[in-house]
Amino acid sequence: MAVKGIKDKVAIIGCDATKFGELWDKGREDLLFEATQGALKDAGIKKEEIEAVWAGIYYYFTGMSGATVEDILRLDGIPITRVENYCASGMDAFRNACFGVVSGAYDVVLACGVEKLMDEGSSGLPGFKIFGHPVLPLPSAPAMFSMAATRCFHEFGWTKEDLARVAVKNHDNGSYHPKAHFRSKITIEQAMKAPMIADPLGRFDCCAMSDGAASLILTRPDLAESYAHADDYIIVKSNQISARTNFPWYVPPNGPGADFTSFPSTVKAAKMAYKEAGITNPRKEIEAAEVHDCFTITELINDQDLQFCDRGMAAEELKNGTFNWDGETAINPSGGLKSFGHPIGSTGCRMLQEITKQLQGRAEGRQVPDAKIGLCHNLGGAFSVASVTILGQRD
Amino acid sequence: MIGIKSYGAYLPKYLMPRELIAKAWDFPAVPGTKAIASVDEDSLTMAVEAGLDCLSGIDPKSIDGLYFASTTQVYTEKDSASFIATVLDMREDIITIDFTDSLKAGTTAFVRAMDTIKANKDISSILIIASDTREAEPATMYEFGYADGAAAFLIAEEENLPIVIDDYYSISANVTGPWKRAKEDNFIRTFESKMDNQIYIQSITRVMSEIMKRNNLNPEDIDVAAYYYNNPRTHGRISKRMKFNQGVAQNGLFFQVGDLGTPMSFMLLISAMKRPKEEAKVILAGFGDGADSILMHVQDRRALRELSKNHMGMAGHQKSMKTLQNYNVYIESKRLLTKDRYVRKSSAVTMWRDTPTVYKMYGNRCKSCGTVQYPTIFRACIVCRADDQMELVKLALKGKIFTYTLDHLVGGSYLATPVPRCVIDLDGGGRVLLNMTEIENPEDNVKIGMEVELTFRKEHEGADFKNYYWKCRPIRGRF
Amino acid sequence: MVAHGIKDKVAVIGCDATKYGELWDKSKEDLLFEATQGAIKDAGITKDEIDAAWLGVYYFFTGVSGTTLEDSLRLGGKPITRVENYCASGMDAFRNACFGVASGAYDVAMACGVEKLMDEGGRGLPGTTVMGHPVLPRPSAPAMFCLLATRSFHEYGWNKEDLARVAVKNHENGYYHPKAHFRMKITLEQALNAPMIADPLGRFDCCAMSDGSAALILTRPELAESYAHADDYILVKSNSLSVHTAYPWYDTNFDFISAPATVDAAKMAYKEAGIINPRKEIDLAEVHDCFTITELLNCQDLQFCERGKAAEELKNGTFNWDGETAVNPSGGLKSFGHPIGSTGCRMVQEVAKQLQGRAEGRQVPDAKIGLAHNLGGAYAVCSVTILGQRD
Repeated sequence: MAVKGIKDKVAIIGCDATKFGELWDKGREDLLFEATQGALKDAGIKKEEIEAVWAGIYYYFTGMSGATVEDILRLDGIPITRVENYCASGMDAFRNACFGVVSGAYDVVLACGVEKLMDEGSSGLPGFKIFGHPVLPLPSAPAMFSMAATRCFHEFGWTKEDLARVAVKNHDNGSYHPKAHFRSKITIEQAMKAPMIADPLGRFDCCAMSDGAASLILTRPDLAESYAHADDYIIVKSNQISARTNFPWYVPPNGPGADFTSFPSTVKAAKMAYKEAGITNPRKEIEAAEVHDCFTITELINDQDLQFCDRGMAAEELKNGTFNWDGETAINPSGGLKSFGHPIGSTGCRMLQEITKQLQGRAEGRQVPDAKIGLCHNLGGAFSVASVTILGQRD
Repeated sequence: MIGIKSYGAYLPKYLMPRELIAKAWDFPAVPGTKAIASVDEDSLTMAVEAGLDCLSGIDPKSIDGLYFASTTQVYTEKDSASFIATVLDMREDIITIDFTDSLKAGTTAFVRAMDTIKANKDISSILIIASDTREAEPATMYEFGYADGAAAFLIAEEENLPIVIDDYYSISANVTGPWKRAKEDNFIRTFESKMDNQIYIQSITRVMSEIMKRNNLNPEDIDVAAYYYNNPRTHGRISKRMKFNQGVAQNGLFFQVGDLGTPMSFMLLISAMKRPKEEAKVILAGFGDGADSILMHVQDRRALRELSKNHMGMAGHQKSMKTLQNYNVYIESKRLLTKDRYVRKSSAVTMWRDTPTVYKMYGNRCKSCGTVQYPTIFRACIVCRADDQMELVKLALKGKIFTYTLDHLVGGSYLATPVPRCVIDLDGGGRVLLNMTEIENPEDNVKIGMEVELTFRKEHEGADFKNYYWKCRPIRGRF
Repeated sequence: MVAHGIKDKVAVIGCDATKYGELWDKSKEDLLFEATQGAIKDAGITKDEIDAAWLGVYYFFTGVSGTTLEDSLRLGGKPITRVENYCASGMDAFRNACFGVASGAYDVAMACGVEKLMDEGGRGLPGTTVMGHPVLPRPSAPAMFCLLATRSFHEYGWNKEDLARVAVKNHENGYYHPKAHFRMKITLEQALNAPMIADPLGRFDCCAMSDGSAALILTRPELAESYAHADDYILVKSNSLSVHTAYPWYDTNFDFISAPATVDAAKMAYKEAGIINPRKEIDLAEVHDCFTITELLNCQDLQFCERGKAAEELKNGTFNWDGETAVNPSGGLKSFGHPIGSTGCRMVQEVAKQLQGRAEGRQVPDAKIGLAHNLGGAYAVCSVTILGQRD
């Protein structure tokens, strides 16, 4: 019987991402084309060598079906699957691509993600009104996450300043990354004085709307030796996902996640991923993590749920520098969603290519010193879906 | 020399017999037909058609400007000319202007194009397009007249032009009518049409007489007089008053296609261009709160005939026009019928099926673990995960806030933002998410642990449906 | 090096589908709940034994994300992926679930699909105007497939009667299936006299709008021995997917009498399964008959007959439930119904039950190898699955 999981069975042999931002002059076609061409070039292969594709796309207006990808890349009838799993669509596309490789069905596959938000108007994520139920309320993304913030303030004594510190750190990191959407440093005062979006979350607590795409080329490790990154391909140590309710606000007080101070999907995905990868002390063993910071509060809660610090301690650890790019566990050295941007379907793959490059010592922004094991964490919906991937250097 | 290098026209596919209008309203019969645009046409699309016709055989990139004239431009703020220029694939370094609000906009654009070319060394050609789709109020005399169409001229400075412009002259006049108020009116109306007519006759004869006088021309010197009109009888009267020879004034157009608005005088000129005389003297005149006249002469008869061969002009369109058989098709294609144009979006079915959840405020109690939960839609328990163990329970219309946000992004019919969105533990079980209404200073007054009451409100009127649901409010003391 | 493909690496150990139809009183949650519970029961397992799930959903109003299934089924934080690939979403969900199992990442996986169309109003598939480009034309589904019919009439000399015969056959089959949306036989005249939808396709040439859900439980064959269907579990012989342009009308080489996605997916699937003569080796097929013309062209693209001959073969009975290759013994999309995301899984479970000799409708005699074919978009996406009996 096969061992459960896919540890050490998948290698990343090429990856890239586009510049993120308000890219009015680029269509989804340009973005996915550019990211994929970049990844192909990085892998040193031709597109004819790709045998199957998985694409993470969230919004129907960015694209429906694998046919969206076919029209952009022209792969001549090969299998292409569109995966949608809220903001974790990108990393779930990567996960399914891994299975395609490990199952033996394909040798070389492409995992990619794209989102084109700016064509739909730029004031907040579109479309929630037309999803779902005619009257049952579906709060905007900031409203969802601010309900967690309210509760964390109440439980842990955190303040708006604690949140602002996340934004300051991530903007600082992003200012060094040539592909980040926002490349401006900000001060605590700026963050705290910004207009309110969903109290207690102000404008600098929220990631903005960005366009972008990211792509990765995967194969099995035994085959990886014959490609351009033979010496420094990256190994997938684990990949896990957990899906919980769409409606955390209906979880009764005795149900999972009822406390609004922790995301049970992150907790579960992290536990499974650490088990699969054989990691026992995440804080010590993981050097760099790209963590889903759609809002500042999200990063703080994730840091705890991912076991980088004790419950209630994330704000203090952040203040002490633990999560700085040169701290004990570098969190979002790229600038994160906050400063790098968050084109929904693309984010998961963007994180993975970021960590890949960090582990290869060729980070485009701030290089985390001596990074050997890295983690990516992608969260979707109302903290409903979490995906965790752990990457390591080849032996 | 500056003159007309090319022309183009557009008439929509369908002709409405005036007889159908007369029948529809029991009016006395009126002869002739009028051109009417299809449901998917407007002044902008017709302008593109006329522009394409005018530029047949001409590189659009060679033209330095586009002037658009219309009283029925589709935007009041947004340039139609630059949009049309884009569709016609013209260059970006060109000038574009919309001439609007007056029926003489076409001739005004024409003379201003002339000025522009004269005044600028690097502007040597401008495309002028006049286009209108004026809507007439049903069951009025206007309905017999107002018609749809477009016409275009390419004005250029070069040698060997088919037609050369010799002079132009304009007057301004405050006319009693017609008008269409920007906000109040759906249709063009007038105060006193007899008075309007008098001013029209005075203005149009004055500009034509004046330009003839300035150029020492007698009525018998004029070969073509293309002047705006909307009434065949008045048209004849002006011709007589001007002492034009028989056949100089083009008078068949109203009968065939109706009153085209701004393109009317252009179309008259184009229809006269089929069999040009050598050195023919031509007057073009437009009217509307004043009048313009333009004096031209045919320089190259052969070139003009060439134009009529490879441009549809007016005659080319008339060949393929069809007569409408039904007045109601016209009314509907103009969207003149008031009816609910329903766009399906929300789901009345969902609201019906979810009656216990959304109207009765029921929850489920899991028979396996006893947990009360909301909504009633889900059949497996979120706590113990037991399947199909749910029984309906009425939830309390009272509870305490567990967490909340003050949402600044919420739109809709709220008195003020931010709107508190509250996760509430109802007394006796069931956790819900509700918006709060009737709260003052939410920043100070909404708190974790706060007691609230549920109140049934109008949530929104989206999707052509009244959507009611519950909100919460600060306690008022309902028992 | 591992051999390509997943032949004999995945076993279907349980499956079910709901009744299809205009189910006003059922929500997507009800449908998913009932289909998955049915499959779980059929496999003789509890839901806690499921390690991961894949969900095929097409329309965003039916549901986004894997959480849609979580809220129906409450697996307690297990991995659930939503796959969307037009009308082939269901079978692509099945395909990815196969990879999950074959890769060794999971022992027991669920593949399911659902679509809830009737909440959105019942006049044709909704939403095409809100998808995609503001002005580039996107024809309605009947209009898309009409383009094929017009060209096939021209090339092959087929006529409306040839199309009507597909409808008559599928309604006849569906009449016997308790879960089919339409359970009435129709005559050739009825089909021919129906109102026109998109000329030359009339109302009986188009499948209707239905609600429904289907689910399957998968594991690896060596584990299948320990479950309820130890003696008659079904093996996945191959599973393929081919994706071509979403806009075939811009492709000057596209002939409009064949779907390259089907041709490619069929070739891949036959190669993986080792099938050389599909007509002889495949006993029954559930084939995507969203429109009557689609079935005729599919029969050719799937190599059940020669190009241009499908109408004649149909007339001769080749595709009847007791013919040489039974096509749509369930009644097909035409009569069984087509809740988009659900269809692929519904077909696979139908074929599985046929091979187990427990078809709920007409049982194809002596069926050993079966095929399911799911087509999506403007013939853009095609998935072919071949199933066989266990050794």
